[in-house]
Amino acid sequence: MEEQAEMVGRAFVDHYYHLFDTERASLSSLYQPTSMLSFEGQKIFGVDDITSKLNQLPFDQCKHLISTVDSQPSSPTGGIVVFVSGSLQLPGEEHHLRFSQMFHLIPTPQGSFFLQNDIFRLNYG
Amino acid sequence: MDPDSLAKAFVEHYYTLFDANRGALANLYQEGSMLTFEGQKIQGSQNIVAKLTSLPFQQCQHSITTVDCQPSGPAGGMLVFVSGNLQLAGEQHALKFSQMFHLMPTPQGSFYVFNDIFRLNYA
Repeated sequence: MEEQAEMVGRAFVDHYYHLFDTERASLSSLYQPTSMLSFEGQKIFGVDDITSKLNQLPFDQCKHLISTVDSQPSSPTGGIVVFVSGSLQLPGEEHHLRFSQMFHLIPTPQGSFFLQNDIFRLNYG
Repeated sequence: MDPDSLAKAFVEHYYTLFDANRGALANLYQEGSMLTFEGQKIQGSQNIVAKLTSLPFQQCQHSITTVDCQPSGPAGGMLVFVSGNLQLAGEQHALKFSQMFHLMPTPQGSFYVFNDIFRLNYA
């Protein structure tokens, strides 16, 4: 179960940041009405509000570079918690921003996963 | 207690124990608990506490910068995401860290740590 959690976690993270960096609006496919995002302390609920928040971030382009991905099964029903650290490069900015992010993936009936919980923090200093 | 206050209270309790009496952390984990510590995976209360008590420092002090929490699902679990600093005795600079806990309720009305992931944040 743990090996599978790591594989699913890694695949999901790659997919998530690829979408974020190339087609941010389609992140909506990864959230559902019960999803929650905490973005730098601000709490946002549901697909529409979460997607709005992400689309309105004050930059058009960005690139996520992942340093670490750790995953664990979160429950007997197939949930997975994924903990990511990395850096975020914005065009025109000399220094990357370092960040940590936590995802809680829940299986869908169609055999994939959606993001039930998402917590994002920049790492300063 | 509202979830945010619960999360903060748990986190303060966890790091107070860690900094004062690391062996007592055993009460916060159970047999199915999982810890990933800097990429190393450990399972079960005994093994987890063995890992934490064998870390290469006697004294440390955690200071918390941010705590975020969200309910994890219908089973009453809570996800808690922490960032902060870890000061080791004799070291000039504090280490920065992030840590994620998934707390599950116990029948007695408290919480234990089911998932625990720890990473240092390097510059």
